[in-house]
Amino acid sequence: MANHSQLGFQDASSPIMEELVEFHDHALIVALAICSLVLYLLALMLMEKLSSNAVDAQEVELIWTILPAIVLILLALPSLQILYMMDEIDEPDLTLKAIGHQWYWTYEYTDFKDLSFDSYMIPTTDLPQGHFRLLEVDHRVIIPMESPIRVIITAGDVLHSWAVPTLGVKTDAIPGRLNQTSFITSRPGIFYGQCSEICGANHSYMPIVVESTPLPHFEAWSSLLSSS
Amino acid sequence: MRRLLARRMKFHLFGAFFVSMGCAALYKFGVAEPRKRAYAEFYKNYDAMKDFEAMRAAGVFESAPPK
Repeated sequence: MANHSQLGFQDASSPIMEELVEFHDHALIVALAICSLVLYLLALMLMEKLSSNAVDAQEVELIWTILPAIVLILLALPSLQILYMMDEIDEPDLTLKAIGHQWYWTYEYTDFKDLSFDSYMIPTTDLPQGHFRLLEVDHRVIIPMESPIRVIITAGDVLHSWAVPTLGVKTDAIPGRLNQTSFITSRPGIFYGQCSEICGANHSYMPIVVESTPLPHFEAWSSLLSSS
Repeated sequence: MRRLLARRMKFHLFGAFFVSMGCAALYKFGVAEPRKRAYAEFYKNYDAMKDFEAMRAAGVFESAPPK
């Protein structure tokens, strides 16, 4: 989860998010180069060190056409690389359905056994000591760690969005439509997210908690849940 | 004063280029490369099971209560 004064991304917990963080650094470098160039030129102009009454400037016109084209290519290539990387869905170990409602999520694991449960936020008045306000839920999404997971996302009423920043996942939940995303958790842990599409009064109070555990524990949990 | 504007503009345009490249290099070697190294260092000797057991002992998992 994010700290109270955090400006940057949360630490990446999936390979795609690591790529996204690296790409963001790259894009920021490009943006910083352009902004510092513009600022320098602006300062020069304000100090009257740079002026011209030329009406014809073929050379500089060429430079400020070619250079932006190069900048765009520098941004587009890694961006497309990651875009295609995100679309690779090869043999997920588990398919999970996330259905958004007002104002909770329903999760269904129908690969092996018919598992289905609702996930409501734990109200602040019922929150145990040391737990995170407005982020904890009564039933977490448990998944096996270091395994490719496919998530099919939809909604039962209005638009929602299933987002977990540390995994690099954010997919809209649209009624009548199935959206697919996938991820692999690089390590065990608990990853928090929040609904990311305005959906009514309690839009801020329907968080998502993904718990990544070793496979034996995931199997034990799913057996327990299916038997109860 | 001959060609003063041309000289000054050339000097400052080079200056602007070096300033922008300098800022980019500063961010790249001050932020981006250390971040890549930090991720590589973290995962170089990372033991997922050891990390899991430590978190489990702290009682944070719903699917794996402490032993």
